[in-house]
Amino acid sequence: MNYTQITFKLNPDNQENREILVALLSDLSFESFDETEELVMGYIPGETVDLEQIGEITASLPFSVQTENEMIPDQNWNEVWEKNYFKPLLIGNRCLVRAPFHTEFEPAEFELVIEPKMAFGTGNHETTTLVAEQILNMDLSGKTVLDMGCGTGILGMMASLKGAKNVTAIDIDTWSFESTVENARLNNIFNLEAKLGDASLLGDETYEIIFANIHKNVIVNDLPVYESVLQSGGKLYLSGFNTHDMPDVKAKAESLGLRETGFQEKNNWVVYSFEKP
Amino acid sequence: MAKEIAGLIKLQVKGGAANPSPPIGPALGSKGVNIMQFCKQFNGRTQDLAGKVLPVVITVYADKSFDFVIKQPPVAVQLIEAAKVKKGSAEPHLVKVGSVNWEQIKMIAEIKLEDLNCFSLEGAMSMVAGTARSMGITVTGERPSTN
Repeated sequence: MNYTQITFKLNPDNQENREILVALLSDLSFESFDETEELVMGYIPGETVDLEQIGEITASLPFSVQTENEMIPDQNWNEVWEKNYFKPLLIGNRCLVRAPFHTEFEPAEFELVIEPKMAFGTGNHETTTLVAEQILNMDLSGKTVLDMGCGTGILGMMASLKGAKNVTAIDIDTWSFESTVENARLNNIFNLEAKLGDASLLGDETYEIIFANIHKNVIVNDLPVYESVLQSGGKLYLSGFNTHDMPDVKAKAESLGLRETGFQEKNNWVVYSFEKP
Repeated sequence: MAKEIAGLIKLQVKGGAANPSPPIGPALGSKGVNIMQFCKQFNGRTQDLAGKVLPVVITVYADKSFDFVIKQPPVAVQLIEAAKVKKGSAEPHLVKVGSVNWEQIKMIAEIKLEDLNCFSLEGAMSMVAGTARSMGITVTGERPSTN
């Protein structure tokens, strides 16, 4: 997505004035702020910015603020890491994950080729490996699988390698959606359908297995939808949150009638599993 | 042996809203850090502070690994929340836009004290009250004792 960078030049410029400006702007659609010695920069997703709203705030301050805006085109900022530091890795001693340009690697029982770009899921993060290790130990023959927050598509593709009948992979992020489509093609996986959007896309089909590696707030919010599309006897694997968030997730899941079946933990990250009776 | 530090990056990001776009993308990407890894960690740790501006200091090491420290929301952010104001005051000493009491000032000072080294609660309270006045926020009630 393209972003708009708005720069603010303050006069007089000091720490307190900068803090007041950022605090008031943070009520608007700014996602983040950066500072240099001369300027404060704020970042808004998209190209449409309500300059009038920003002007109302800067005009209400006891110091003067000059603003300028500039569009920053979308690009793959992760390229330096990908090309230089993304190394082939083995998950659960059974599945090799590598980039298309990797030439030196040990063959393994399963292999996935991933062009990561700006999507999450290269096997470098605990949440991915935790769920991936579960998948490697599952019998998915003939199962229908849903991968929510699919990122690179790594989990859904692994489910396909493990025999799933078909996989639906959904992500709200355009980079992730495109990455899943590209990676499925790279791995000759044809029973995976990628969709761009969120839980509101669900409802027409039901699944025997659901993975959701996202964040606590999204998971807790969308759990009723996951539950509604999970078949009776089906299993749900939730990840992307820390151990201290487990009580919130458990409370919500149990309020929907789901039964806890266990969890795995690594460096404070969790995969939490539930079953629909 | 301590790891060699390649750089420090200071940003302010809303809780739960880290993504690989500017400024995080270019700042971390240019240093060869796996941006997605940082975003997942930051968002995982800030789910309960979603939408609130949080200062974060990221240490990037020579081996491209990283650590980061999330600080408490800035004083001004906590003040606008406590006083429920949407705008500042162009003449903060004359035109008031809201008010907070000394108990609220003390609470903000206590939270912020974690980020300020060698600083007493007394000093932190005076600093918070000063920022409030600069924003046109009146401080009401009796200043509580800190002993």
